[in-house]
Amino acid sequence: MKVELKKFGTTLISRQAGKEAFAAFQPTLKELTAGENIEVDFDGVITFSPSWGDEFLTPLRDQLGEHFVLLPTDNPSVKATVELLEKISGKKFKT
Amino acid sequence: MHSLVNYAILINMEEKLLNIREAAEILGVSIDTLRRWDKSGKLVAVRKDGGVHRYYTEKDLEVFASDLIKLAYEWTSDSFELPARFYCANSAVFQTKIIKLQNALMQSPQFSNIVSLIVAVAGEIGNNSFDHNLGKWPDVSGIFFAYDLNKRLVVLADRGLGVLGTLSRIRPELKNHMDALRMAFTEVVSGRDPEKRGNGLKFVRQVVIENPMSLFFRSGDAELRLQEGNSELSITRAQINTRGCLAIIKF
Repeated sequence: MKVELKKFGTTLISRQAGKEAFAAFQPTLKELTAGENIEVDFDGVITFSPSWGDEFLTPLRDQLGEHFVLLPTDNPSVKATVELLEKISGKKFKT
Repeated sequence: MHSLVNYAILINMEEKLLNIREAAEILGVSIDTLRRWDKSGKLVAVRKDGGVHRYYTEKDLEVFASDLIKLAYEWTSDSFELPARFYCANSAVFQTKIIKLQNALMQSPQFSNIVSLIVAVAGEIGNNSFDHNLGKWPDVSGIFFAYDLNKRLVVLADRGLGVLGTLSRIRPELKNHMDALRMAFTEVVSGRDPEKRGNGLKFVRQVVIENPMSLFFRSGDAELRLQEGNSELSITRAQINTRGCLAIIKF
């Protein structure tokens, strides 16, 4: 299943908005079939920051493990954020 | 007096004078605030023909509002009513204004490679102010947020607890603002710590040193300077101690 982050907004920078997005996304997880991956699509996102990412990406990775995958992107704010989140948690995101 | 009258006439001929109500609307402050600023010399009004009514030229207002760094610095030193266009009372207002900054940056091809990084850095600093001070603002809540794309700068400030006030809750051993700034910009707070919100400034540091940007960050009596290509933290002690945080991002 692909998650288009632009549907949560194109400027994803606050912790509060990240928490709200995570909560709003929880019911969708029930639609996942066994062994299905969640693929995070950053296409259309203009700005992304660690505050938002730490409330959405980090807990979803912890929840889904290897079934949580980040799709490639050229957005420098996404790249810098993912790098920091991996450093904080000591865990890599699957790409 | 004669020369003042001539000055007023000259201004009147060349430029429309705004009355105090119009000036207050343009700056987004109250009329009483303008009267106080006139008395204190912060923004001096023009008197027509030696009269008692206060008038302002558009240029005076423009010059006053364009010195973003001075305004932010003065606000952290001594609280006063901020012009509405620079004040974010809550994070929702900040989100709206930072999207305007993002849109403005996207209009200029020269910034196309770093739009998302400028906005992310400003966003982390501004949202830090709200996240760390929610329910704890010592006096004035909200932040100062302004930018000038011609001068290539973004200025943010708050009158909150400051970095030491925030970090000493999870690191009681921190004794001064300089140590607090060093920790905020260098030490990764792990997910096991009770404080999850402490990593934004590490992101800011990494982005600034890897991109054509610079940062001045002040909290209490500590001042930090960061610039592209230099991973060394330069932290110095200022002469005076100011409230909250002040950040100047140049790009």
